[in-house]
Amino acid sequence: MQTVLDVKSVEKSYGQTQVINHCSFKIQAGEIYGLLGINGAGKTTLMKMILGLQQTNNGSIYVLGQEVSGSPEYLSNVGSVIETPAFYEHLSASELLAMHLCYMKKKANIAEILQLVGLENVNQKPIAQYSLGMKQRLGLARAIIHQPNLLILDEPLNGLDPIAITEMRELMKKLTRDGMSILLSSHIIEEIKHTADRVGILSGGYIKQEFSVAEKMAECGERFEDYVIGLMKGN
Amino acid sequence: MNLYILEMKKIRFSTYLWAILGIFASLLALGILFLFIFQIEKGQSGIPEEVELFANWNGLLALTTALAFVCFSVLSAVIAAKVVVSEYCGRNAIVLLSYPVKRKALLETKCLLVCGITTISAFISNIFVVGIMYVISHIFGIVPQMNTRHFVLTALISSILMGISSSAVGIISTAVGWKKRSGIATIVCSLIIVCVLTNFITVSPRNIIWVMLAISTVFFVIAIVIYHILANRIEKMEV
Repeated sequence: MQTVLDVKSVEKSYGQTQVINHCSFKIQAGEIYGLLGINGAGKTTLMKMILGLQQTNNGSIYVLGQEVSGSPEYLSNVGSVIETPAFYEHLSASELLAMHLCYMKKKANIAEILQLVGLENVNQKPIAQYSLGMKQRLGLARAIIHQPNLLILDEPLNGLDPIAITEMRELMKKLTRDGMSILLSSHIIEEIKHTADRVGILSGGYIKQEFSVAEKMAECGERFEDYVIGLMKGN
Repeated sequence: MNLYILEMKKIRFSTYLWAILGIFASLLALGILFLFIFQIEKGQSGIPEEVELFANWNGLLALTTALAFVCFSVLSAVIAAKVVVSEYCGRNAIVLLSYPVKRKALLETKCLLVCGITTISAFISNIFVVGIMYVISHIFGIVPQMNTRHFVLTALISSILMGISSSAVGIISTAVGWKKRSGIATIVCSLIIVCVLTNFITVSPRNIIWVMLAISTVFFVIAIVIYHILANRIEKMEV
């Protein structure tokens, strides 16, 4: 199976604080990798380093074999929703996505993607008039419209209603069936449990443990959440 | 060219077009007022020293150019605050830096867009203001006419140099706005620069081309240095 993302012994510190410490993991094509950690564990920092938004102090990151510290061309194969997505609010969803495709140097059917995320009826409205949930959906549409090989989602279900959460989970699974790989971060175990194929527990700045969700649930049964919480706490 | 079109889509250009038209209308109104100040004052005993600037075309050109420099410098800073500072210092930075485009190329596009809009609009506005003033003066016989060819050349050169200076002020102010991470700081910086320097334009109206050449050269060099500093910072920028 093709390795889409390869994080090799990455380190990152802010001043004296070591946030990421010899962190390594891999994501294969077509899998959803859940990154679990408490608030401040370094999930967002790690994701930003993959996107080249933060520089590593040590180690290296490869996306489809291309090192991220080199040319930004690899970013055309990566989609992301980091933190609360920001938009040019005077534009409509269609205009925004068309502009995004131009930057990514790709072509796609905008109407189809808007339908996929449930925004087909509001696509001509200025984004300023969208609710938080609609903006979250639009952020996801922007992240997937250029058909990236790797999708990075930082707590993507924030602000969504229960129906939208279910739809979003289904969408993520559909995307992986089409060959996309997803790196999904969260501090909510339930979210990861229902979505991810494999989980990495980020604690102390490194991946403390990695496991298959299905296998671990079979092993731990109802104690699955307690087990994961224990790992997140650093036990 | 593609990047320029994309950057243009991000801003509501019509807003700036209305601002440019507003500046033009205000400058034209002031220019016509300048013509009549001389007419009103010359009726009394001789020409007072303080209205000498309004009594000839060198002085009138220097005045309108100085005012246009003030207005378009601030406009340049406003556009730079929107196109550069708010983009890199705001929430859009994550999206902006996630595109497969070289960071320096993107900054270069943004800076050239700010300079292009400012220089072209400042040049056209000043030429039209001075031209309309000249026609009105001719019709009403207000200020003695100059050797037309010489005056046209002087107006053209001083206007283009004023446009370049104004756009350079926008880029210089961007450095301050960037440091303070504030669009307002960008605009305030441009105001401080123009408050200090505008009087130099009217120091020697007869040599306006040389004065404008000196100002624009100094500003242009500073703006280039600042652009390179910003470009290097963007390469290492973390969000």
